Amino acid sequence: MSYIVATDVGGTCTDTVIAASDGTIHIGKVLSTAPDFAVGVIESIQSATAAMGITNGVLFANTDLFVHGSTVVDNTLLTSSGSHTGLITTRGFEDTLRVTRGAYGRWSGLPEDQIKHPVATDRPPPLVDIARICGVPERIDYKGAIIEALDLDVTKTAIEYLLNEQQVTAIAVCLLWSFRNPLHELAIKDLINELSPACYVSLSSEIAPLPGEYERTSTTAINAYAGTVVKNYMDNLQSLLTAEGYLGPVLVMQGHGGLMPVAESSTRAVGMIECGPVAGLIGSRHLGQLLDEPNIIAVDMGGTTSKVGVIQNGALDYAREPMVNRYHYLAPKIEVASIGAGGGSIIELEPGSLAPRVGPQSAGSRPGPVCYGNGATQPTLTDVMLLIGYMHPEHFLGGTIALDRGACVKAFETTIAKPLGMSLADAAFGIFRIACSQMSDLIHEITVERGLDPRDYVLHAFGGTCPMLAAVFGRELNVSRIVVPYTAAVNCAFGLVASDVVHEYTATTLVSLPAAAQTLNAEFEPLVSAATEALLAEGFAEQEMRIDCAVAMRYGLQVHELGIPLARGFPLCDADVALQIEAFERLYEQRYGKGSAYREAGVELTQFRVTGRGLLRRPELVKSVLGNADASAAQIGTREILVEAQSAFALAPIYDFVRLKPGNVIAGPAVIHTPVTTIVLQDAQIGRIDEYMNTVIEFE
Amino acid sequence: MDPITFSIIRHRLFRIVDEAVITLKNVSGSAITNEGHDLMVSLYRADGSLLMGGVGFLHHLTSAAEACKSIIRRFGDRIEEDDIYLLNDPYTAALHTSDVYLVAPIHRDGRLVAWSACFVHVYDIGAKNPGGFCPDADSIYIEGFSSPGIRLVQRGEIIRDVFDTLMNMVRSPEMVALDISSMIACNNVARDRMHALFDKYGEETVDVACQSLIENSESQLRTRLLQLADGQWQSRQYLNVGSDISKVVLTMTKTGDTLHFDFTGSSVQSIHAVNCTKWASLGGLFAPLFPLLCYDITWNEGVIRPIRMTAPEGSIVNCTRPAPVSVATVGAIQSVNNAACSTIGKLLATSDKYRGEATAVWHANHFAIFMFGRNQHNRDGIGILTETFAGAGGARTFADGVDVGGEVPNPISRMANVETIENMFPILYRHRRLRCDSGGAGYYRGGAGMDLAITPHDAPDGGIHYVVSGKGSAFPMSEGLAGGYPGAPNVYLWHKNAADRISNDEQPASQEPVDWGVFPLMGDDTLEVQWNGGGGAGDPLLRSMHAVLADVEAGLVSSTAASTIYGVVIDQATIDIVATEALRKQLLSARVGGAIPDKMPTGRPIPLSYDHAGSATSVACANCDQVLALSGEAWKAKLLPIDSPMNEIIAAYTTIDGLMLRQYACPSCGSLLDSETVYEDDPPLLDIIGAIPDA
Repeated sequence: MSYIVATDVGGTCTDTVIAASDGTIHIGKVLSTAPDFAVGVIESIQSATAAMGITNGVLFANTDLFVHGSTVVDNTLLTSSGSHTGLITTRGFEDTLRVTRGAYGRWSGLPEDQIKHPVATDRPPPLVDIARICGVPERIDYKGAIIEALDLDVTKTAIEYLLNEQQVTAIAVCLLWSFRNPLHELAIKDLINELSPACYVSLSSEIAPLPGEYERTSTTAINAYAGTVVKNYMDNLQSLLTAEGYLGPVLVMQGHGGLMPVAESSTRAVGMIECGPVAGLIGSRHLGQLLDEPNIIAVDMGGTTSKVGVIQNGALDYAREPMVNRYHYLAPKIEVASIGAGGGSIIELEPGSLAPRVGPQSAGSRPGPVCYGNGATQPTLTDVMLLIGYMHPEHFLGGTIALDRGACVKAFETTIAKPLGMSLADAAFGIFRIACSQMSDLIHEITVERGLDPRDYVLHAFGGTCPMLAAVFGRELNVSRIVVPYTAAVNCAFGLVASDVVHEYTATTLVSLPAAAQTLNAEFEPLVSAATEALLAEGFAEQEMRIDCAVAMRYGLQVHELGIPLARGFPLCDADVALQIEAFERLYEQRYGKGSAYREAGVELTQFRVTGRGLLRRPELVKSVLGNADASAAQIGTREILVEAQSAFALAPIYDFVRLKPGNVIAGPAVIHTPVTTIVLQDAQIGRIDEYMNTVIEFE
Repeated sequence: MDPITFSIIRHRLFRIVDEAVITLKNVSGSAITNEGHDLMVSLYRADGSLLMGGVGFLHHLTSAAEACKSIIRRFGDRIEEDDIYLLNDPYTAALHTSDVYLVAPIHRDGRLVAWSACFVHVYDIGAKNPGGFCPDADSIYIEGFSSPGIRLVQRGEIIRDVFDTLMNMVRSPEMVALDISSMIACNNVARDRMHALFDKYGEETVDVACQSLIENSESQLRTRLLQLADGQWQSRQYLNVGSDISKVVLTMTKTGDTLHFDFTGSSVQSIHAVNCTKWASLGGLFAPLFPLLCYDITWNEGVIRPIRMTAPEGSIVNCTRPAPVSVATVGAIQSVNNAACSTIGKLLATSDKYRGEATAVWHANHFAIFMFGRNQHNRDGIGILTETFAGAGGARTFADGVDVGGEVPNPISRMANVETIENMFPILYRHRRLRCDSGGAGYYRGGAGMDLAITPHDAPDGGIHYVVSGKGSAFPMSEGLAGGYPGAPNVYLWHKNAADRISNDEQPASQEPVDWGVFPLMGDDTLEVQWNGGGGAGDPLLRSMHAVLADVEAGLVSSTAASTIYGVVIDQATIDIVATEALRKQLLSARVGGAIPDKMPTGRPIPLSYDHAGSATSVACANCDQVLALSGEAWKAKLLPIDSPMNEIIAAYTTIDGLMLRQYACPSCGSLLDSETVYEDDPPLLDIIGAIPDA
């Protein structure tokens, strides 16, 4: 037997998925151990091996690959625990980082109600204090031509000032147009290495060789700020793994949806941002491949936020203006939309109109919802789930936590139902409808508003709360069906074992079309070579590689760009160039709407992107034989639950997921309690347990 | 109406506006729309009254309502389903010709039930000067085409001859066509989504929800007004074009649950294009009012009902045809924005409950500069310097203003990267950095503005030209709050033959101010723009000396200003505490006539306190508890006025001779309680605090 081990460190839990060569999947879950996350990794693996009845030693002796995702960078930013960082810029542009393109940094990342209230807003505190920012005389222009040579003497003085007077341990370097010509940045790096070999250096031309000096500077600053933390973390993790007897390869999940060898990942902290939720999307995509469903809307509802990703024809979209803790960065990062609505979202009545709101305030895990009995008095969405009969005191997380229904009723009565002048039930129904409508509005925003039709999509529902709402907002959005995956509880770790090694390369050059294929090939050539060499060096044979090429295209004088893959790959012939323009025009109107094309100004290429994939072995999941449709053996009772279409309580059967068998069919309205979540079927819906133990909900 | 359905419909209406904004940005694809967020989308009721205002340039919310109403008046029952109308005449409803409205009726079963409306600042409008701002205009007749209302789309079909006629009057018609297409697409999305809403909830339910939405906003604002003091507050804004000086004078009176904005006393209309029409003034006062007083209230007709405006006909804030108005949005309208922000701030500062909402004036002076010419990629283009959207925040009553924090009337603007602009225009930036001494001094400092310099680079024609409508550079416009200093005014400098000067700080051979007209940027010419900072709040002598040191080290406050304005003595990057305390005492003494003040100020940021025990409210200095006046009295009359020539205070106040900073000090402790800018013999601003309700 051999194994692939995947561990994902999230903010709350550290999850492990062990894929054995016999097709079985084993799961481990422990609470995360901030700030020393690596400890939790070993504990989480331990919890899986304990269930398997083997030791970590036996596991690791037979492990081919260890795959890892971690929230360490997000956490470093959240807790402001990065390095004392300096920044070197082009002289005259020292303020680029703290000015954040004007108000952009003040309002971006804020919800609408705060945006409407500018007096109460501000930027997040800067990662690099103004005293640790030095401008050096040098200038490169838009073509990459050196207009003014780098003044090495001034630069040396600046570095010495940062090292000696400011005591920095990391330096970020971002000069204007360095992505066109990195010469000056490289010279500065040499100088820093000479003066202090221990100082962590991050160059914008290496981390984010892309136009836009504010975002590039911010990216480089984040990378330098979190760089040492990540490096120490990875070193520590590796020595722990070595101590457990594992000497094989370690691959680390990136926000772009691929894996990267640990050594390289340690130098690219910024690449790891939000890699957990992205791994979750990869998990969804993998499941979609198994079920032959290429279009997926994946919704993960946590305690404070809901994260939503869209998989279109098996492909994931990149975020346009990614941000972490309201800091902008430039790195290929799979888009995950987020709203401040989750199980712990507090329900409030707006003064005056009494319109109820769900979130964005959250009760978090402490004190949490009222029904947890930790003394909270503000009702949350989770409390509403209890009031409308979806959750039950005896069936929460497999009955491990008792729920206090009495406290919940009392709090809801006082703070919500009475002020609204409504019955407890009507008020609770109402809040449930508002929460569902918020989810459907969010999903509308990232699908319909981008030219995608939810009717072509399957909805994947993750998290403790989402499978209770999905039947309602899924129906409103008209998705084709809803799937609550069997692996939902460890979806991010599951995504890790479904990922490939990915290297991304980008070159920024403006080419007006039409142009000869030769011109374009000349831009791609070095990128393709770099990708191939990197994968060869990692031991991938040619047949285990996939090289994807794409270009960013736009209309002249327009700001919107679209990434368009090369339909027939590299190298291009002249006919391919014409195909490329056609594909761009087609997608542009699809994405930006009818009438948005501006052909008169011509089409331009702005970026050349190459993605090299080293394909990894996928664990083969065991497929069960579908049995009888009769689910009555799993029914554990009946109770009154809210049936949404009738806005009334009705008696519904309650099922225990653990007793359900593949092939079982359940007609809604019904509730299925699983050890990790609760699934609700509304009326005119049919739930089916498929051959992988996923719960598939279809509309009649 | 049940609060649940109400809440869902409200959120949906809000999403409709948001989606329409995204459509507008997507289809337009232009920098001014996408970076500057120089746009607006809103929904209106069947009669044209505002239903749901979106986050955009907020002075358009009420003007677009008037646009809908005037289309109703003009077309009456000739309005058909799926029509779209274009309107950009400032004397009918619009702000200036280049902000083009497209308004669209929404019908259900043949009955008009709602409107959607939007605008973008179009690429060009065919005015004498490229880009729409027209410093050369002496009348509206050369400010581009202007329509009081024309049908552009009939029953879903573009009326081609009308469209072609409009495009025949502008530069780069294909770019303008795209702007127009974006607005058509935006209205179409709004209409489709409104239909979906009606389909789901039924016309009657939606109608009731909309009505409640408006009633709710009205009662929320009225309730808020009742919680605030009655009284009168004044503000005065000077704006000059060269030696031609105008002023906007505002008296805001708050009585019970109503507010009255009265512009009596403002200058007669200007010969220059800085004037605005009455609809523009109305929009101009609402633009700050929405986010300052209604930050948690839906922006709609209900908010408009308790507000009244008086603007004398023939004045700069209610000009008569054919006065030129193309620079209005950054001219008189912005002065109205500033004056309203200032008086609303003074009102809020009187309330214990709402003091945190008060602010000094943000970004008081846009510097609309449009570059035009052939670029390094051999393409002709017109483009605004988007830095004008990166204004500075005014100081608040709990914190400094946000450096380069934007502006209140357009809460979500941003500026483009240097690298973006250098790739679009044949120019090279010499620097773009924060500007020292730009933020008004105070207990809380106004946010800093910036300083940029550009020079031609790789220009096929040797350079480019630019249109600058830089009114108001002789007067600071971002007023301070509660004794805070105003932010420094804008400066525009044409450095001639500034060769070989890329990033060093030497002054070039010759420089001359340029602020109005069309100028070349050729060869080694450099255009430098230093823009205004936000107003300060409270007395700078009471500011934390450590905060002053940090500002000096960050290059935001000069060491001169640190000592002369803040009274902080800094020696080799450390504070000389003994010298600082002595200097601060000396400066306070000077304010009260040289003697040591009776009491030393206790260091409160907002220097007034109110005692409303009994029938009358008394106004006292919060820093020494000295009672200054009873409610209903002109409380500033009891203070010590201190006049200082503005241009002698610090170098950044490069203002006109005869302009005074008049500060009002507490006669007892010497702390600053108020300040105003006074040109020549203008009278003091008369503020009267009336009865303050119990919190």
